[in-house]
Amino acid sequence: MSDLDAYRAKASAWLQSMAPTFGRDARKGLSEADDLALGRRYQKAKFDAGYAGINWPTEYGGQGLSHLEKVTFDAEEMKHGFPSFYFGISLGMPVPVLMQFGSDKEFVKERVLKALQGEEIWCQLFSEPSGGSDLAGLRTKAEPEGNGWKINGQKVWTSWAHYSDYGVIVVRTDPTVAKHKGLTYFWVDMKAPGVTVRPIKLAGGDSHVNEVFFDDVKITDDHRMSPVGGGFAVAIATLMIERYVATDSAGFGPHLDLFVELAKDVQLNGRPAIEDGRIRQQIARNHAMRAGLDSINVRARLMMQAGMMPGPEGSLNKLVAVRSRQKLSELALDLQGHDGFLFDEHASQKEDWASSWINAPTGRIAGGSDETLLNTIAEKVLGLPQDHRPDKGIPFNQIPA
Amino acid sequence: MTILYDEGQQAIATESRRVLEARVDKDALLPLLEAVGEYHRPFWDTAKEQGWTALALPEAEGGLGLGLIELGLIAHQAGRSISGAPFLTSGFGAAKAIELFGSDAQKARWLPGLASGETIGAIAFAAGPDALPARPDVTFTDDKLDGTARGVSGGLAADVAIVFANGPGMPVLALADLAGTQRSAIPSFDNSRLIADIGFIGTPAETLAVGGAARDAALHILALQAVVTAHEQTGGAEALMEIARDYALTRKAFGQPIGAFQSVKHRIAELYGLVELARANCIHAAAREGAADFITAAAAARLSATEAYDTAARDCIQIHGGIGVTWEIGLHLHMRRARSLAIEQGSSLFWEDVLVDQLAGEAA
Repeated sequence: MSDLDAYRAKASAWLQSMAPTFGRDARKGLSEADDLALGRRYQKAKFDAGYAGINWPTEYGGQGLSHLEKVTFDAEEMKHGFPSFYFGISLGMPVPVLMQFGSDKEFVKERVLKALQGEEIWCQLFSEPSGGSDLAGLRTKAEPEGNGWKINGQKVWTSWAHYSDYGVIVVRTDPTVAKHKGLTYFWVDMKAPGVTVRPIKLAGGDSHVNEVFFDDVKITDDHRMSPVGGGFAVAIATLMIERYVATDSAGFGPHLDLFVELAKDVQLNGRPAIEDGRIRQQIARNHAMRAGLDSINVRARLMMQAGMMPGPEGSLNKLVAVRSRQKLSELALDLQGHDGFLFDEHASQKEDWASSWINAPTGRIAGGSDETLLNTIAEKVLGLPQDHRPDKGIPFNQIPA
Repeated sequence: MTILYDEGQQAIATESRRVLEARVDKDALLPLLEAVGEYHRPFWDTAKEQGWTALALPEAEGGLGLGLIELGLIAHQAGRSISGAPFLTSGFGAAKAIELFGSDAQKARWLPGLASGETIGAIAFAAGPDALPARPDVTFTDDKLDGTARGVSGGLAADVAIVFANGPGMPVLALADLAGTQRSAIPSFDNSRLIADIGFIGTPAETLAVGGAARDAALHILALQAVVTAHEQTGGAEALMEIARDYALTRKAFGQPIGAFQSVKHRIAELYGLVELARANCIHAAAREGAADFITAAAAARLSATEAYDTAARDCIQIHGGIGVTWEIGLHLHMRRARSLAIEQGSSLFWEDVLVDQLAGEAA
């Protein structure tokens, strides 16, 4: 047994021992507040057991292990339905960026330890009504005031902002230069005067994303995490960290086994649906696609294990998996016919076809839309030309709105 | 359990690519389309000389003792070059059938020649649309074959065939020396495949497997060939994706390279996805030879590779516009090959059924 297999076995055993207290069944029927409280206890239990900050430096309370142990643990953890998603963004991007770019080391260490133990949550204030895929098009501004800054504007799609204690934010500090050059990266206290968080209810019934308004929010210059005008590079560094989060060839929807079971149970024109050629074709094609992604991901892990950088084909994961999840979920609802109308907005997207279907569009947009991902593959992997960009090199305040 | 190619394997890929790019070009392949019964002899001479025919056969039988992974790498390069002979896959399948299910005498009689490439093998399992029929057209009675095996790739030049035949009340996997059989060439949209009807009239044959074992054996051989073919298809799809990319970078319209239009660049990015999924499934399937889920892995590789090659052929020509459909630019060579390979080892319809049977726990 390799070291990694041993690690996996140990992690799996620990996770199984936690499942009765924190797993899927324990969470059934909880209000969101109670679920979050349970999540905080689970995060603390992970920290105490040495499974928080697995690949983070030990001086910040991490375990100092590699990315491999981290993805190994994540893959095992995903099986139990733990309430860990409240901390996904927080520990995924903002806190690692704080470790890398925060200037006051004592302050950083205190924040990191509290975040790792589930006591504090961080959010990432990037997207705006006019700056989503075009991140550098954002308009929220910070103006110098005294020895600090004053922030005004609006962010949107901010996950978990309503539970967050702190956030990292990119704002415009100079509108007279080209759009990428006038941005600066700060952290903010989400409880500061002038910060208003307004949850957005999504189609699937969830409200984990928010609009966040900044009205004369004052921060001192020690909140700055990039050179003035150098915020875009730090924002890109944040998004690079995002590339290596756990993958799921089911597109974070139901496993194909569940579809096969459904097709065996349901009758179509008097015969089990599993005998219907249209259904068989979709099962076979979905399997082939998912098996391909699984193989790509296994190879990426093997490469990392061998000290190499994985190839760019990992960029296919979300694009291919979520799109196919959406269509397979539609077909699953077709198969159930009138029995498929029943909808429970709290059902798991990984187990319930209606929930998987109604939430699938979010997956095709968040973290880069299909179109953005296709552009990235075309431009960065295949070397095709960039889109026409009329705003290139023009001072931000002269770009036609 | 996907693998990472080691240095030796990467060297096989690089060397076979170098050799094929030097010796195969479209101008040599185009005339083959207009003649029935011709194939690209320089390709086959290269295959023999480079030891590709021996590669995945045991050393005791004159082979090199490597495996499906290495043969797959060669097939990938052959696919890029649109290999002008059908024997790499079917010859391998015939040799594996004899190696796995044959007697010592049969191995001694046939394997050294198949390994050296001096003997050409073919597989005759299909009956019309069915890649592995419940009741094959060819009958096997008293050690003799009768009937016609239709549309056998490489059949026109083969010396020996592995035939899936209808024996007394059960299927038989039989080995037949083709000397003395009646062969008629089938004019095809991909003529260099040497597709032929093989007529058996009391042709002496030997059994390799009988009954359920014959069907299992035939499916296993078909799966081995499918994995090799899937590599070939992926190589073809990859080449087309690169051709499309290069053309989109140079061809201009409305004052910019057409690759700057999202309708074009996204089409090529989608091809990248299909090629990489097919490649990943091929690597996985080749590494699963001998494992319990080999048929599942082979089917997945086959399905994704067929989709990749067909789609790449369609889209690459579409991106080229009018020039893409001309005889001399040769994209139709890939388009034809994509279709003939899609049919040869069992179509997608066949492999979809095989795969769902495996997934639903209803494996034959």
